[in-house]
Amino acid sequence: MDIQSKSVTLENVSKVFKDPQSGRDVVAVDGADFTIAPGELVTLLGPSGCGKTTTLRMIAGFELPTTGRIRIDTEDITLLPPNKRDTAMVFQSYGLFPHMNVFDNVAYGLRLRKVPQKELSERVMRYLGMVGLGDLAKRPPSRLSGGQQQRVALARSLIVEPSVLLLDEPLSNLDALLREQMRVEIRRIQKSLGITAAYVTHDRVEAMSLSDRIIVMNGGKIVQIGTPHQVYRDPADAFVAGFIGKVAFFPAAVIGIDEACTVEVRGKTFALPRFSERLRGAERALVMCRPESLTLLPPGEGILDGRVTTNVYLGHSIESFVSTDMGEILVQVDNPDARRVFGEGEAVSISFIPELTKALPEAEA
Amino acid sequence: MLLFAAILFWINSSLTDSFQSLADGRQRKTAVAAMGSAPSGDDAIEAWLKRISSQNDEFDLIFLRGFPEDEGGMRAFAGTPELEELLGSYEGTRSFAKGLESSMYDEVFQPSDRLTVRGETRRVLFAPAHDGETGDIVGTALFLISSSDFDSFLTLMRGLFILALVIFTAVFAVATYSRDPVTGFIILGLFTIVAIFVAYPLFEAVRLTFVQEGRFSLEIWRSILSQKQYLNALQGSIELGVYTATASTAVGFLFAFVISRTGIRGKRFLSAIATLPVISPPFSLTLSIILLFGNNGLITRQLLQLEGFSIYGLGGLTVVQTMGMFPIAYLTMIGVLEGIDSTLEDAAMNLRATRWETFRTVTLPLSVPGLLSSWLLVFTNSLADFANPLILAGNFRVLSVESYMEVTGMNRLGHGAALSLLLLMPTLSAFLVQRYWVSRRSFVTVTGKPSARLTDLVSPGLKRVLLAAMFVIIAFLLSLYGTIIAGCFVKNWGIDYSFSLSNIREAFERGWRVLLDTLTLAGMATPIAGFLAMIAALVLTRKNFPGKRLLDMLILTPFALPGTLVGISYILAFNKAPLILVGTGAIIVINYVIRELPVGVEAGIVSLRQIDPSIEEAAADLGADVPTIFRTIVLPLVRPAFISSLSYTFVRSMTAVSAVIFLISAKWYHLTVQIYNFSECLRFGLASVLATTLIVIVLLTFGLLHVLVRKNENLAKTVSN
Repeated sequence: MDIQSKSVTLENVSKVFKDPQSGRDVVAVDGADFTIAPGELVTLLGPSGCGKTTTLRMIAGFELPTTGRIRIDTEDITLLPPNKRDTAMVFQSYGLFPHMNVFDNVAYGLRLRKVPQKELSERVMRYLGMVGLGDLAKRPPSRLSGGQQQRVALARSLIVEPSVLLLDEPLSNLDALLREQMRVEIRRIQKSLGITAAYVTHDRVEAMSLSDRIIVMNGGKIVQIGTPHQVYRDPADAFVAGFIGKVAFFPAAVIGIDEACTVEVRGKTFALPRFSERLRGAERALVMCRPESLTLLPPGEGILDGRVTTNVYLGHSIESFVSTDMGEILVQVDNPDARRVFGEGEAVSISFIPELTKALPEAEA
Repeated sequence: MLLFAAILFWINSSLTDSFQSLADGRQRKTAVAAMGSAPSGDDAIEAWLKRISSQNDEFDLIFLRGFPEDEGGMRAFAGTPELEELLGSYEGTRSFAKGLESSMYDEVFQPSDRLTVRGETRRVLFAPAHDGETGDIVGTALFLISSSDFDSFLTLMRGLFILALVIFTAVFAVATYSRDPVTGFIILGLFTIVAIFVAYPLFEAVRLTFVQEGRFSLEIWRSILSQKQYLNALQGSIELGVYTATASTAVGFLFAFVISRTGIRGKRFLSAIATLPVISPPFSLTLSIILLFGNNGLITRQLLQLEGFSIYGLGGLTVVQTMGMFPIAYLTMIGVLEGIDSTLEDAAMNLRATRWETFRTVTLPLSVPGLLSSWLLVFTNSLADFANPLILAGNFRVLSVESYMEVTGMNRLGHGAALSLLLLMPTLSAFLVQRYWVSRRSFVTVTGKPSARLTDLVSPGLKRVLLAAMFVIIAFLLSLYGTIIAGCFVKNWGIDYSFSLSNIREAFERGWRVLLDTLTLAGMATPIAGFLAMIAALVLTRKNFPGKRLLDMLILTPFALPGTLVGISYILAFNKAPLILVGTGAIIVINYVIRELPVGVEAGIVSLRQIDPSIEEAAADLGADVPTIFRTIVLPLVRPAFISSLSYTFVRSMTAVSAVIFLISAKWYHLTVQIYNFSECLRFGLASVLATTLIVIVLLTFGLLHVLVRKNENLAKTVSN
């Protein structure tokens, strides 16, 4: 399995659609500019309508960019039709050929490449074995479960040994358990083949667990590119912070910025080591707190008083839902046996650990 | 690109030149021959000029006797004041002097000047005139030759040149700038086909109705809209349409209601009987009606001995059309009734409505849109019907037959075209009503959950009445078909009812070649129409391009056109340059393809819409180009639609009559027209044999279709999920 890993580069790619109803232009993708390194799996993550699927389809060649260039390694493929590109796509609805059995589905790409019969069947069986479907070669796709259909689609794309594998929300039609299983499997196969992959999803857990890097998109624009850890711990703005995980924001006044950003939250001053560069010169900020960066103190000791409404016991931690005048805030109490736990109905005060937070600019348009 | 343009230009100019020299050569010869013996006396010359001008409108002639240098000087004989004046203004020019000079040297001279005589542009030719006896040059003849032929040829050449340039530019642009040249060429090809074979003939038909003797005129329309004969035909068409539509809708609703809303047995059999007339060839029902109820009919004459009864006219036509067209209403209504969730009726009865109240307040209101659209469908079909009134109308007049008579009987193509366009108006308005009013009121909801019928909507007594009515109609229908078959084996219907096979022998002797013609033409049209339909459907569903709606509209247009209009517009458009096709088999094949394309395209679009586009994208992504995707993915997936559109085209082409009757020739004849000819000569036995043959062919085709599509049933399931 000698797949030649290649990089994919988008240079300032934009896509403008005409809305068929109003006739107005809609910017689906706005100046996408990034490189996927050889062998890397990059996830395009964002809410629906953010342009992630359009970006993927432009790499595959189903859509033409309005402006910008797309390259595989150094070759410019911007104008190549899909069938001339060295990419293979796994579709959200699988797109299996219903009039062919599993074997013929997987063999389709090889037949187009005029691979001799003997090598063909040998390769098809090898790839079917890789996705664990070796004994279902003669089945029509209609008699496969969703997960099995997904595997056929994957094998069909991989067998042509593309330089880039594209996956368009491949797991969205599967149930939760199967999704988790397939996620692991896709990652395993991708890594073992060392194939470059772009993966579109709106599921942050999927993105976090699969990716080398995540590209977060919103409203056609790329908001942040980073490793799962970076986008979680160090989000570029409030949108990314909110999209990537559970979060609470505390409005704050900026006092000064040097090594750290000094802010005042509800009368108390904190020095936050992580802050957005865009805060320089700003007066107001938001302190982003993950549930695990919040702590519960006796009433009056923290920055925000409230009352515990529900405690969810998870073994290694407890999730406490605290109702405050800023709404309900989720606090994760780690290692509950070693610290004080406030019971349901008890009055508490919330504070945060400054090292685990980040100061972000106030939400903008 | 430039090189090609240059080559085109060169071809154009050299062709023009060679035509010009050819035309010149001919004219020179005529001129020289005419001037071989000029008369000498003044009176003789005047008389001679008069004779020439009265005989001829190709050219005018001015005779110039002698030359200016002669001692007697030159005398001009112009004939008319207009020519004299023209000569006065032309005399001083250089070409005039040169013309006289060449004439003196016994040479013909043709300057490039154009003069105007009676509002028409003329070319000029100088020829020497000789004395009949001595052969001396006595003067010069100045011909003013009509150049309209020549100029129109030039216009044509220029037109073709521009057309070639446009096509080349389009092809060049597609090949160079499109990422997907195959699709580009397909779209270009489809546009060319519909432009030539849909838009152009229609345009020609419309144009002809506004032209009289080469000028724009409203004369044809004025006469059509004022003469009683034509107005009667219009009224007759509408009257017949209203009666047939109402009766057919009633019968169709009866069948649909009984089959969908009562628990009777043998539904499939009843349904098959009810759809039989849709696929039976034209003339067959009319034929058996005449055999049973005609002037010498089995029932009217032999059994009842009626005198003075005539089946010909509005009554007989309504019966025949209703029997032939109620299936259209039935098929529409059964779709609507089955679409109405029967739990609605159960709910009404559960709320204490009686059966009749349930029917009146739930079932009937919900089926109103269906009733309306089936009425309109039958109405348009009745208007467009040509075969039945052609034989059975008698003195009753309808538009479709009237326009046929105008064209074939009177050779008044303009009137024929106008009448068939008149036919289009009610058809078109019915279509618009259907499209913009009825479809918006459709209540049919597809729940996807078949609900079991719990209660019968009709009381047992009423059910028996409905069933009885239904069986009377079925018995009548079957007896009509039985009559045609019986007609094959009877020696001489109406006179001698003894068993005989002579009709069958004679019919095949005389009709064998026609049968082969018909099979050949339909067989050629079928695959062309099938493939074209699937390709067009693919392009229309999956690709976006400018002009898509226009293409869609032009492809679907022939469906709404009455056959007579199509036939007339085809003989108008393709009986002259640049495309002379009348008399060939090609025009018939093209006509089949164009007329049956809409149904195939619709079927293809419907089945493609059910197929997830990502299936085709997956194939493209794996390296398949457009033709490969079409062959390996699309065609297998739309196979049921493809096969049924093939068989539909074949059957419709085998049973075509209204358009094809204009297009047949001695070389290419059609079986249905042969049936018509036999019945016109009262050879009903022969007609029955051919009609039965057609019915058998049609049934065989549908049987084959059934077998072929059955194989695909499990496939269809996969595609839709």
